Amino acid sequence: MTATLTPAEAPAPAAPEPAAAAPRKKRKRPTFGMIFAVTFLVGLTFLAFFADYLPFIRYPDDKIKGGARYGIGPGWEAWFGTEKLGRDVFARCIYGAKYSLQIGVYATIIGLIAGGFLGVLAGYYRGWVDRVVSIIIDCLLAIPALLFAILLVNRLDDVKETAEWLNWLTRQWQIVLALSILATAPLARIVRAQTMSLREREFVLAARSLGAKPARVMFREILPSLVPAMLTVAFTALSILIASEGALAFLGLGLEIGTPTWGTLIQENRTKIYDAWWATIFPCLMLFLTVLSFNIIGDGLSRRFDIRQAGV
Amino acid sequence: MRYVLQRLLQFLIVFFIVTFGVMVLIRLGLNAPGDPARTLLGGSVSDEMIAEYTNKYRLDQNYLVQYLYWLGNFLQGDMGFSKPNSMDVSKLVLSRVMVTVLLGIYALVLALIISVPLAVRQAWKRDGRFDKSASIVTFGFVSVPGIVLAPLLVLVFVKKTEFTVGNYVLTIGGWFPRIGDKIYPWQDLGAHFQNFFVPVLVLALPLAAIYTRILRGDMVQTLQADFITLASAKGVPPRRVLWVHALRNSLLSLLTAVGGQIGGIVGGALIVESYFAMPGMGNLLVAAILSRDFFIVQSVAAILVITVVLTNLVVDLLYAVLDPRIRHARALA
Repeated sequence: MTATLTPAEAPAPAAPEPAAAAPRKKRKRPTFGMIFAVTFLVGLTFLAFFADYLPFIRYPDDKIKGGARYGIGPGWEAWFGTEKLGRDVFARCIYGAKYSLQIGVYATIIGLIAGGFLGVLAGYYRGWVDRVVSIIIDCLLAIPALLFAILLVNRLDDVKETAEWLNWLTRQWQIVLALSILATAPLARIVRAQTMSLREREFVLAARSLGAKPARVMFREILPSLVPAMLTVAFTALSILIASEGALAFLGLGLEIGTPTWGTLIQENRTKIYDAWWATIFPCLMLFLTVLSFNIIGDGLSRRFDIRQAGV
Repeated sequence: MRYVLQRLLQFLIVFFIVTFGVMVLIRLGLNAPGDPARTLLGGSVSDEMIAEYTNKYRLDQNYLVQYLYWLGNFLQGDMGFSKPNSMDVSKLVLSRVMVTVLLGIYALVLALIISVPLAVRQAWKRDGRFDKSASIVTFGFVSVPGIVLAPLLVLVFVKKTEFTVGNYVLTIGGWFPRIGDKIYPWQDLGAHFQNFFVPVLVLALPLAAIYTRILRGDMVQTLQADFITLASAKGVPPRRVLWVHALRNSLLSLLTAVGGQIGGIVGGALIVESYFAMPGMGNLLVAAILSRDFFIVQSVAAILVITVVLTNLVVDLLYAVLDPRIRHARALA
């Protein structure tokens, strides 16, 4: 973060700078939670994206023979046990991670771009632009988020049948689209509030008096200062979106049938929870730990940058 | 007063836009004439019936006319007819609303009962052992999605389960088995609470965690204010300082949290009702969206929007009642 803010053209007087910054605060050691969160997420991402090449992860549809009616319990043969059809729960969890993380990250990125754009516009121009954006935000926040996502995903199913040009829209992109709209509103609200205070600062005034165009002021002067806030909110949004994706999958609006995601795994196996608790509890655990990790990182960042998270 | 009018206007604008948007969204892809009625009535119906329905609800007109017509009917309490349920939507909604409302109210009350004492205790000895461990627990519960908490609690509470891990057998649960379909309090009060306990817990625990974190944060700040020092200095007992002086001042942020989470409760109720197969509005709504029973979708969505926005409005106005500082600031503005 600091690298983007210090001017790149002046590398020479680098030595005295740390001394000037030193009395501010001693560098704090990262907390245990932070270490856990980062390790867990990096490990999970690694496993998920190299799952096809790692020898100890089975393919999600491979069946393991043997075991009781509801599959084998967790053990050496299958780390998280097997579910009722004999498929390895660990492998399915890892492949599920791939889809969940992908959807969450894409949706957050789209939400960041849309929310950031709307927020900066509203905060900078104020007046009627602000009023329009505020109404959009209010409307998006008025309708329960999950309900809106269900409606949108389900509707896009039908729309793409009638519209030729929407062929590229797979279920995954439908979910990404629905979730990113959900993420837009709170992001736009926070960016708007921050922009409003930033636009009164001296460096913005300086840029404007030098004759910079509004677009340049917004995206070259104000936007870089918004990065910490947006990054912080992005992590919190990511945790919420991944949970929502799980909820959507649970309600039957997940990816194509047969694709393992955490929500689908929970939904498929929950009726057998008394006989085969592992098939439900391990996907639950994965989902929980992922959401928790993103929350820990978001919380850590918000403390680091001193940002209050209103409305997320 | 001007402020109240302004907020009411905002409420109306949001209501119109959202309900219109929902209507357009649910009818997307139904372009051919007769399509909406056919979807509404299901596969095998006569052409006369389709024509009758199309005519009755103006389904052949453009969206705006349809919307105004629907809105007029909605405001008079006529929400249309649902063929799959063979019932008027208004009656259907009335029969379902009870479960969701009870679920929400129980969860809210339980969350407040848990969170207020917890937060006060935390703020009292800030950074103490209790505060730190409670912070970790609440942070964990903030991060638990409903679909994760529900199976866990089911496993723990609902049915007796034997875990076999190696040679050890661990038996837990069986304290809150579900009893038949006695959902309503007037049928059988004991069974009602037994049936509601686990679903309410699923909703209430994350909610309580959110409230606790917010209230604790605010109380920690309030306790550093000058008037607290003054109260302590003039000899008000510490207990009274904490529970009356500090808590009253911090309740505002708790109120904001309660108002802001209403949408969250509705979304959570959706999952919980679906998980526990409870006949509530959320369940009705999901089924209706999937089968495109659009009168139900429109009406329930409208009711939800009214609930959410109106709650926020009331909370906002309550602010002024509770806090003279805000009242005066608004009077000046």
